[in-house]
Amino acid sequence: MTAGRIYTGDELTKDLTIECDVCVIGSGAGGAWTAHELVKQGKRVVLLEEGGYHTRREFDMTEARAFTNLYQELGNRATDDLSLTIIQGRSVGGGTTVNWCSSFRTPQRILDTWRDRFGIDTLTTEALTPHWDAIEKRLHVAEWPLEMINANNKVLWDGLGKLGYERALIRRNVNNCLNLGYCGMGCPVDAKQSMLATVLPDAVEKGLELYANVSARTLEWSGRKVSAVKAEVLDPVKNRPTGVRLTVKPKLTVVSGGAINSPGLLLRSGLDGDGRVGTRTWVHPVVGTLAEMPFEVKAFSGAPQSVSSHHFIERGKDKIGYFLEVPPLQPMLGSIASAGTGTQVQDLLSRLPYINAMLAITVDGLLPEENGATVRLRDGAMSKYAISYDFQPAHWEAFRDACKEMAKLQFAAGATQVLSLHANPVVMKSPDDIGKLDDAPWEPARVRVLTAHQMGGCCAGKDPHNSVVDPHLQLHGMDNVFVVDGSVLPTSLGVNPQETIFGIARWAATHIGAAV
Amino acid sequence: MKMYLPPRGASKSRRGFLKKGLFGGLVLALGGGSWLLTRRGAQVQVPEGLQVLNAAEYAVMWSLVQRFVPTHEGFPSPDSLKTALACDTILSMLEDVTRSDVKQLLMLFENALPNFLFGGRTVPFTQLDPNDQEQVLAEWRDSSLMLRRTGYHALRGLAMAAYYGNRATWSAVNYPGPLPGIHDPNAPVWKGGDEPRPVGNGTYLEPAAPEATP
Repeated sequence: MTAGRIYTGDELTKDLTIECDVCVIGSGAGGAWTAHELVKQGKRVVLLEEGGYHTRREFDMTEARAFTNLYQELGNRATDDLSLTIIQGRSVGGGTTVNWCSSFRTPQRILDTWRDRFGIDTLTTEALTPHWDAIEKRLHVAEWPLEMINANNKVLWDGLGKLGYERALIRRNVNNCLNLGYCGMGCPVDAKQSMLATVLPDAVEKGLELYANVSARTLEWSGRKVSAVKAEVLDPVKNRPTGVRLTVKPKLTVVSGGAINSPGLLLRSGLDGDGRVGTRTWVHPVVGTLAEMPFEVKAFSGAPQSVSSHHFIERGKDKIGYFLEVPPLQPMLGSIASAGTGTQVQDLLSRLPYINAMLAITVDGLLPEENGATVRLRDGAMSKYAISYDFQPAHWEAFRDACKEMAKLQFAAGATQVLSLHANPVVMKSPDDIGKLDDAPWEPARVRVLTAHQMGGCCAGKDPHNSVVDPHLQLHGMDNVFVVDGSVLPTSLGVNPQETIFGIARWAATHIGAAV
Repeated sequence: MKMYLPPRGASKSRRGFLKKGLFGGLVLALGGGSWLLTRRGAQVQVPEGLQVLNAAEYAVMWSLVQRFVPTHEGFPSPDSLKTALACDTILSMLEDVTRSDVKQLLMLFENALPNFLFGGRTVPFTQLDPNDQEQVLAEWRDSSLMLRRTGYHALRGLAMAAYYGNRATWSAVNYPGPLPGIHDPNAPVWKGGDEPRPVGNGTYLEPAAPEATP
């Protein structure tokens, strides 16, 4: 007999009120680790997850099913003007169910920036290291061997080597990985050590009550205390409210819906931090290039992300840095991410096995003029928000520079043609054509920009006048509310964020437990 | 059913993208009462199972699909895959506000008045020949108006997802699909309670403590 239980929307047919020690809202990287540590401390924890409980039984490695079940807005989340496509997970396990397993500890320079600019003296390497050690052990985080990298990553590896740029193998959270290439669609063998496969079931064994298909709509509060979480049960198939309501009355609430959704919940609840909630949302804006290689790359097969380069991570004090990785490329994602229309796309995709895709992930939030994205509520919407991103000249400069460097790398690795992701793509037949990128339009909705890493919106800081949560992640002005997820990060990271969020969640659970 | 509503003044709500900004508002306003708006679009047979789009909107979607994923050697035709209907199915799974945006956008594409103002054409989009439709798409894509670029991307993404999300396109793009024999459609779904947790790659046993040295 297991102490805890996972409930799904189809089982919840009557209104329910639950009293508990802690209500955690969101089951991704932050919520899962927080809930796990709190049940370990003996707390009664109720976890609400808006997404469904989808497991490897459903993970058939098809894009149509994955995007429908496992991504926010079926993969259609974006800024209002579609200048930024937002790829964000939505199911039990959150983004960890669909990410590409890249695991990095938080860079020291970022922690230093948080301390110096925002007075965050709590999140230090010393404080986080024991947590990262424990997390890496539990999640089998290890460097992916060079001999196992797929040809798509090998293009990046070889290009970096030929140009003499810094390169490294990525550490991945996998156990008995079959090197299939479908991490983004849910691992069909639970080799990915996602929250879905590891920490959440561990927590259920210890007593966690997890309610999937339950959308927290508002926090009920007065004075400095939240007294209840009001939630709607969603139909697991139609993803619409069934009319059944769940009310959780916790002693303490942890908001872990991730960037965008956590600010959304606070905004719906009237806890807008004098307008700061939802602002300064950082997204690691990504640009990419596609290359046709004279050999098979099969970017749809093998561990999707195993090589990175931080060669361009610091480009001078007025410039935005970036790091390089590659994505997997299955037909639907490939078609949407590519540029052009009609037969142009069909001809390109008919050569899918020969296409290498490369990504430059820019580090936003470090320049003083940056505002990042802003999240606001939208009339009549359930989980769709009004989102805008304030692109600055420094972003476009970085995008252009990054695309030129990626084209150089792809040609160095043997590409016969490189395409930009402009709406009307820039076609480069040789390195001599790279200069064409200087003449391309670098403006919103003229070139594909996307994000797979959402951060900020409930930024941490010591001064309540320029932050949403304090350095212990407690909501300013409230005694029993913490925010524990990527939304508290006051800048972006310069590395894939999951391990940073794991670390701060496991760290925060100690003092959150003491506050119950 | 009434949803929990945010308290008054919880946040400023925002309008849909089509209604934002002077140009967006103007373009929408221009449609009303115009003789150009009343020009009939092409008639397309409306399939069974349409959930979101009406006949006129479906006709525009169908025409757009023909341009975004045209019949091309080696590729299944979009009609054989019912791609326009698949677009409607995708929309049925999205929120009402998104559906409403897309429906307005489709009629903006169709409306002859904006097409006249921006391209000098007096014929609805669905009545244009394929080359002119391609030209209209390029004009939306390259427009100086953000609204039109946004609209282009929204409809392109929808058509691409509906078409390439269909596994019948895999052979055309030389995609072998997932390896057979990996996915287990009968894999246990564990929910705790009385059921013991199945052992798998996600379970974890603490390494045994090293034996004490005598």
